Amino acid sequence: MSTPVGSAANGRRHGRGAALALQGLGHSLPYLYAAIAIAIVWQAVVVLTEAHSSVLPAPLQVAQTFGQLVANGELFVHIWASLRRVLIAWLLSALVAIPLGMALGWSRRLEKLVDPFIELFRPISPLAWIPLAILWFGIGESGKIFIVFIGTFFPILLSTVAGVKCIDPLYIHAGQVYGCKSSYSLFRRVILPASLPSIVVGLRISFGTGWAAIIAAELVAARSGLGYLIANGMEILRADTVLVGMVAIGVLGVLFDSVFRYLHKRYAWS
Amino acid sequence: MSTGKPIVLESLAKTYETESGAVQALLPMDLEIGAGEFLVVVGPSGCGKSTLLQLLAGFMAPTAGEARVDGARIQGPDIDRGMVFQHYALFPWLSVIGNVEFGLESKGIAKAERHTRAMDCLRMVGLEEFASKKIDELSGGMKQRVAIARAFATEPSVILMDEPFGALDALTRRFLQGELLKIWRQHQRTVVFITHSVAEALFLGDRVVIMTARPGRIKSEIRVDMPHPRDVTAEDFRAYERTIYELLDDELAKTFRPGVYPQ
Repeated sequence: MSTPVGSAANGRRHGRGAALALQGLGHSLPYLYAAIAIAIVWQAVVVLTEAHSSVLPAPLQVAQTFGQLVANGELFVHIWASLRRVLIAWLLSALVAIPLGMALGWSRRLEKLVDPFIELFRPISPLAWIPLAILWFGIGESGKIFIVFIGTFFPILLSTVAGVKCIDPLYIHAGQVYGCKSSYSLFRRVILPASLPSIVVGLRISFGTGWAAIIAAELVAARSGLGYLIANGMEILRADTVLVGMVAIGVLGVLFDSVFRYLHKRYAWS
Repeated sequence: MSTGKPIVLESLAKTYETESGAVQALLPMDLEIGAGEFLVVVGPSGCGKSTLLQLLAGFMAPTAGEARVDGARIQGPDIDRGMVFQHYALFPWLSVIGNVEFGLESKGIAKAERHTRAMDCLRMVGLEEFASKKIDELSGGMKQRVAIARAFATEPSVILMDEPFGALDALTRRFLQGELLKIWRQHQRTVVFITHSVAEALFLGDRVVIMTARPGRIKSEIRVDMPHPRDVTAEDFRAYERTIYELLDDELAKTFRPGVYPQ
């Protein structure tokens, strides 16, 4: 009697695993379609234009190079180099932009004072800072972290300001009535959690802009990272390496974004 | 157990400064509310009854006069004056019990006791099984029950209620009125309750204050001498209702000029 029960339970467990796998597949299916479509068009262009493999290598050749770079671990070294820079800069950015954004969202007077500075600096692309970053920091890590900091700072700042400004005044009143005496406790217990969903959106967007900025910074001046992989590929006329770097950037971008979406769904209250 | 405290309003007045000039919301008002009394304020919309409650909550300062709770002038929001808002104002990032515990945490009550007391209050409103639910999973009536539990949890001397059942359907409203009365009689807090439902005012209040149209002042006050639970279909209930409607009709007529359709 125990065997059928056991196997039924097992079956159910397998069923759930399969369902989860199917769900995961369901989410990645559109990306799979897109990848196949891109490969087909790409292959067609290669065949029709008879492009030389040093200019536009075929998808299969790129896949082969991709496999080599994965096998010898080189790709992971570059991914980690880029990712590490983005993570450090993005965290630094959050550390500065979230408190500043909360202050600006709360105090109209402070916002009036600081807003012109923000609006003047915001349109300057992080890429425009690359020359100065090299002059100031050389080609070491700090220059690249500086560039990504610029690229991640404004999305976090602006979404934090918007998050605080959009708080329903009712929450503030309820917080005051139920014992938030100091503005510190009101910030910690009401304003921060109330604006958190908007802050998380800013963190997600800025990770994307940071990921774009680091590649650009590495293209110009670096000895590691995906941007370097691409720049170096160009110098040694290895278009396949360039494309491997580009594919890695795209795939990782999608991956990071889905991680953030998951975290947002899991932890933010709205 | 602490109980309700008396409230005294002395020439309490409020004028708003707007771009088109000063607007008198509340003319100087004198009123004494007894300790543990259930006072209901009714009036046409825009009569300043919400302004009155905001002043009592301490969200803004009066232009003139003052309000005192047990002799102490109201100078800002205080945890000793709880509030139930029309649109609940529960924190959606906290669970049901997290909301009820919020004020207890402010009072520095230890975690274990906080939980026990919050559960007691949730039991009081019949929501103990929903303690760990999210706020957005509740219906409007349930949300307002959580808000009532939150208000009573901190054992304030005064509870201010700003049209708390205004957004609810008639059946839920009737049920919650009864629940509120039970809780109030058990806890003996001073309640200032605002509504524009005359039946609600008469069902709940020890005393009903009727306000004039803007600028608001007290037009009349009526002591309700009927034992609880009150029968809304009884003849004396109807008689009270008629009296109040007559008083209010005069005020409503003033807000609409003759010959002009109200917009």
